[in-house]
Amino acid sequence: MNPNDLDFDLLLTPGAWTALWPMITIALGLMMLLAAEVVSSLRPFRSIFFLATLGVAALFELRILAGPESLTDTGGIVLGGALVADATSAVWGLIFLIGTALAFSYSTAYYSGSEARYKDEHDILMLTCPLGMMMMAGAQDLVVFFLGLELLSIPLYILAAYKRSDSKSVEAGLKYFLLGAFSSALFVYGSALLYAELGSVSFGGAAAALAENEMGSLAMTGVGLIVASILFKISVFPFHVWVPDVYQGSPTPVTALMATGTKAAAIAFLLNAFFLLPSSAANLIAVLGIVTMAAGYFGALVQDDLKRMLAYSGIASAGTVILVIAGALANPESLDAARTAALYYIGAYVFTITGAFGLIALFERDGQRFTRLTSLAGLATKRPAMAAAMTIFVLSLGGIPATGGFLGKWFVFSVLVNANMIGFAVIGAVLSVIALAFYLRIVITMWMLPADEAHPIPGADRPLIAGVATAVCVAGVILTGILPGLFI
Amino acid sequence: MEQFLFFLLSLSAIAFAVGVVVVKSPMKSVLSLLGSFVALAMIYLLIGFQFLAAAQLLVYAGAIMVLFLFVVMLLNLSDVNAVFDAPIRVLGQKRIAIAASAAALIGMIALFAGGSVQASESVGAIPAEGYDQIEYLGALIFSRYMIPFQASALLLLATMIGVLVLAKRRRDSASDVNSEEPAQ
Repeated sequence: MNPNDLDFDLLLTPGAWTALWPMITIALGLMMLLAAEVVSSLRPFRSIFFLATLGVAALFELRILAGPESLTDTGGIVLGGALVADATSAVWGLIFLIGTALAFSYSTAYYSGSEARYKDEHDILMLTCPLGMMMMAGAQDLVVFFLGLELLSIPLYILAAYKRSDSKSVEAGLKYFLLGAFSSALFVYGSALLYAELGSVSFGGAAAALAENEMGSLAMTGVGLIVASILFKISVFPFHVWVPDVYQGSPTPVTALMATGTKAAAIAFLLNAFFLLPSSAANLIAVLGIVTMAAGYFGALVQDDLKRMLAYSGIASAGTVILVIAGALANPESLDAARTAALYYIGAYVFTITGAFGLIALFERDGQRFTRLTSLAGLATKRPAMAAAMTIFVLSLGGIPATGGFLGKWFVFSVLVNANMIGFAVIGAVLSVIALAFYLRIVITMWMLPADEAHPIPGADRPLIAGVATAVCVAGVILTGILPGLFI
Repeated sequence: MEQFLFFLLSLSAIAFAVGVVVVKSPMKSVLSLLGSFVALAMIYLLIGFQFLAAAQLLVYAGAIMVLFLFVVMLLNLSDVNAVFDAPIRVLGQKRIAIAASAAALIGMIALFAGGSVQASESVGAIPAEGYDQIEYLGALIFSRYMIPFQASALLLLATMIGVLVLAKRRRDSASDVNSEEPAQ
């Protein structure tokens, strides 16, 4: 390597600054939150600090999205090929920031007792997550990705176990930590094997090495291990068994972040590292996607806990979204379409699933666990607005037209159709229709069943911020459903 | 000479690693893990990676092993032995684990022995002209790998906060229980 490549000043171009500002903002926000914990006069402004940090970071992402010349000159690649900052990564960044802001809004009043006393630390850990996600989505280097992955995962392990007094939450944290650590180890091992053959952990270096030689069995093993660890993070069959327990046990706002963020960032990475995947894997990935969808939907049919139901629905969504990878592998020209489809699907999904989990978080306040399906009975008469919002989210998950969920699925399946994988697209669509059965079960419970007088729906003091977040989610779901032109 | 040393060190590393699993006493197990780490550090020295060798000794043999030793010593050793002696019947986990490890080992040996594997020439690259190894590493950390470097700082911060939150709370809930006990 040329020593000049390692010159700090040469690498830190104006473009690199532009690319780094969103991350720097979040890091500074973290420090500010830490300081606000110590300085008592700043404590009331903690939520504002949190949301303002995300807002400023979003502005910097918008600047990247506008495509300044300093970035477009190099194709968005900065820091000697460690990071990419282009329109795609900027939109991913915005999705992460929105998802974190929504999850945070629902968490403000969620905790009670000793958990509420540790809310400051909770916020700091939660703010670390989008930083990790941005690193994952922008990584052009396996080292950068791995640090991003850990920066997202380790706070999530801790947050999953945040309700220390609740054995389910501790179980969730422990399961997530053990399995997550194992999958991280797989990733590192895979990277080492890849490095041994290709001589580089950066995508640029690996692509150059692959241009000269075919990929050998050592690198292939490495890619297999890396993909396995990513599929674990996205919760694709056969790496999905941890999801229901972890999603059910974790504090609900954390579940919302977990369900959207990890999935989105890992998919973004797979689309970036696309060139490493052999095109013969298209059918394998498509089959995995379809089996995952089936496992998710049929698993959800027999659940009667809402969080478990949504967890299985999350597994099914993971199966749906990795279909774009299969489509892009079969037809490399459709890579851009696949990116758009994944962005659209996840973008709509963030609003949908965060809203749904957020509403559940509102139900289960005061330490009571109103997460059974039956506890929703009669919601429509008691709280029509909440029931209506929940209905919209559930219909979007089910893929009813005029919601974001429908268009997301539509884009994903059209990628498959363009890749001549019509069979898979048809099976996927049929599975989605079957899935409507359990989504409609939620709707029927809310609107048609009489309220259970023994377990009244709790909590009249809904915080304003959660109401705003719900409104944003509803608006997001509907806008992505009827005005796709706004976003593409 | 180098070859001889390499085989000696790698054989002892493997022997110590086997010892970790086979030895009954947790204390001896930890100590043989230490032996394995040291042998590995020697191998790093042998191929000219002084920094890696030093880091291996400082971080693994130093910090992590001390932590392991503390944990093992603080645990009730007779209880630990009971756990080790208990037959693991659940799904024949032991057998599955042995079979899976053996399969992975055979696979790796087949990969390397089959000659289909060729390590890239740039692996173990010598630093560019005029660069000392550690200087080169430092230059890499503060230029190309600046983001991972900074991120690992934040990662440590987050981990520290997390440990405090999870560990401190336990004492809180314990004192809660204590204060409730008289009432019962």
